[in-house]
Amino acid sequence: MKPLIEVTNLSKTYGKKSTAFRALKDINLTINEGETVAIVGKSGSGKSTLMHLLALLDQPTTGTIKINDINSHKLKQRQLNRLRNREFGFVFQQFFMNANDSVLNNVLLPLKISSTRRRARKKLALDALKTVGLEDKASNKANDLSGGQKQRVCIARAIVNNPKIIFADEPTGNLDSVTGDKVIKLLFDLNRNKKVTLIIVTHDLELANKCQRQIHIKDGKITKDTGTKTSATKKEAKK
Amino acid sequence: MRLIDIIKTANHNLFQNKIRTFLTILAIFIGSFTIVLNTAINSGVNSFIDKQVESIGGDGFIEVFPAAMYDQVNSAMKSGTAATEYNPDTGSALSSNISDSDLEKLRKVEGVNTLEIFHMLSPEWITSNHTDKKYNVAIEYFPNTDFNVDLSAGQMLDHEAKDYEILLTEEYLEPLGFKDPEDAIDKTITIGFKQTTLCYTQPDNCIKKVDAKVVGVQAPGILSMSGELQINAALSDAIYDGSMKGVPVETAAKANIIAVGSVDPEKLDNIREKFRNIGYEIMTIDDTVGMIRTFLDVVLIVFTIFGAIALLAASIGIINTLFMSVQERTREIGLMKALGMGSGKIFLLFSLEATLLGFWGSVFGIAVSVAAGLAGNGIAHSTFLADFPTFSLTEFTPLNVVVITLTIMLVAFVSGTLPAIKAARKNPIDALRYE
Repeated sequence: MKPLIEVTNLSKTYGKKSTAFRALKDINLTINEGETVAIVGKSGSGKSTLMHLLALLDQPTTGTIKINDINSHKLKQRQLNRLRNREFGFVFQQFFMNANDSVLNNVLLPLKISSTRRRARKKLALDALKTVGLEDKASNKANDLSGGQKQRVCIARAIVNNPKIIFADEPTGNLDSVTGDKVIKLLFDLNRNKKVTLIIVTHDLELANKCQRQIHIKDGKITKDTGTKTSATKKEAKK
Repeated sequence: MRLIDIIKTANHNLFQNKIRTFLTILAIFIGSFTIVLNTAINSGVNSFIDKQVESIGGDGFIEVFPAAMYDQVNSAMKSGTAATEYNPDTGSALSSNISDSDLEKLRKVEGVNTLEIFHMLSPEWITSNHTDKKYNVAIEYFPNTDFNVDLSAGQMLDHEAKDYEILLTEEYLEPLGFKDPEDAIDKTITIGFKQTTLCYTQPDNCIKKVDAKVVGVQAPGILSMSGELQINAALSDAIYDGSMKGVPVETAAKANIIAVGSVDPEKLDNIREKFRNIGYEIMTIDDTVGMIRTFLDVVLIVFTIFGAIALLAASIGIINTLFMSVQERTREIGLMKALGMGSGKIFLLFSLEATLLGFWGSVFGIAVSVAAGLAGNGIAHSTFLADFPTFSLTEFTPLNVVVITLTIMLVAFVSGTLPAIKAARKNPIDALRYE
């Protein structure tokens, strides 16, 4: 397995001097292609900050993040945008949908941003909706869907661009356990069928345990990383 | 994101909050309506004047003044005082005349077809057998000019005729006791004028009379607007000779003269230049009408300023609307940025939203002002403009409409930049966390 994300000495500090708050302290980790990783921790532990940094939504104070062996510091804003647009998918706890827009339009937003042609993006969006089992809701208003359906639309939006990595921030946080399980199953199916790397931020241990690997965070530090055998061996081999 | 998608998204976003958008557009509409209607009236009135000038064929008509006279008037207007220094070389500016040798020089300038001297006449009054009252009157005689005088009855003056002839304007018909233009034809009117020398000795009995035949009645138009009645050569001579009776011939010949002529309109600029070198200024119909235009322009500028102020207020409305819109869609901005939309495109999205507000406001304003303008034309033609069927009070030219629309869109775009910059600068994380 190839390392996909390599993080070295990563720190993030909010504020300056006296009011400075170190949200992340000296994080080192490697995430391999096709892994399912749970970042676990209580609220305020720094797990969301870590995800934001991994997803290149935010800049670390110190340390480097390499994606596919490319140092993110060396990427220009335009290239970062392009990378997020083409390679990443996002699923958020609060969905973040345009409530008044149709389901289809919500799903094809990433393709609109990437300037995909009208016909192609409609087809890709319908395919993505099919994957999450909501192709019949394409022309519904996003606001008219139930919570579980909304999150499935968000997953469709996250996979419409065929990403390598999906970042899911508390994907089941707003859902009851039955619909939550459905959403989780969808995500793991994607991992299995399309080899999508999953990075899930959660405080739900049950969900975390379904992932191959759990990274526990507390006060901005990794307290426990179950690792994966293969990645561990590779790390050894590298040394 | 493609531009077409950005435009569509911006337009879609615009109608998310219909009442707010409508009110903002309404404010722009008021400004755009005022400006468009104003411009249309300006263009309507000006094109009417153009048509009139063209229809009387006055393109090549010039009046020639000694430069000193022209300068005195001009410098008095510029300096705000008529008390300019006396120059013995030119003499009294207002009494300067055109010498015979100068007249010859002027006639030889290329493009000058004819140039004739005539005397300014100042009669006392006009009356007819059908009324006891006397009326103020101004008359003019334009030798050798080919105006197309628009007549509502009768025929043009005959400058070769020995009979005394005059053209009335419609405004003199009723006072002089004529029912309509036809009624006045071939009737006799009487003009009274002072015999200058006689007035020194018999001030109460120095007014002489001359009878003239009405050959035609001038239709309302730019020529009749001056209020001057046109007369033929014979009548002009009779009045001039009569009023100068007793004055030494040489003095009389030099009093109150002015030259008029016709020139090739194409060469007007060149002629103006050459005349200036000889010491004379010319005035065309356009120059005369220019004063009317200047007045109109001032009125319209004032109204356009009102429109501009309305637009300024509207642009503050745009800024406000956009700021609210940016605030409301903070999370949406965060999402789009997370999904890889660049700051430039976010800026474009919001500033285009502002531009579209301007676009819809001006389209709305144009539509209503066109409707109002056409309705106004209809009303005007059935009332105070009934005599001028060719005069459209308002005239909408595509160029004006496009320029106004683009200007308003530019103003709206500029108003939108501040909120759009705010949107573009949002950090995706903070925007997504925004509650």
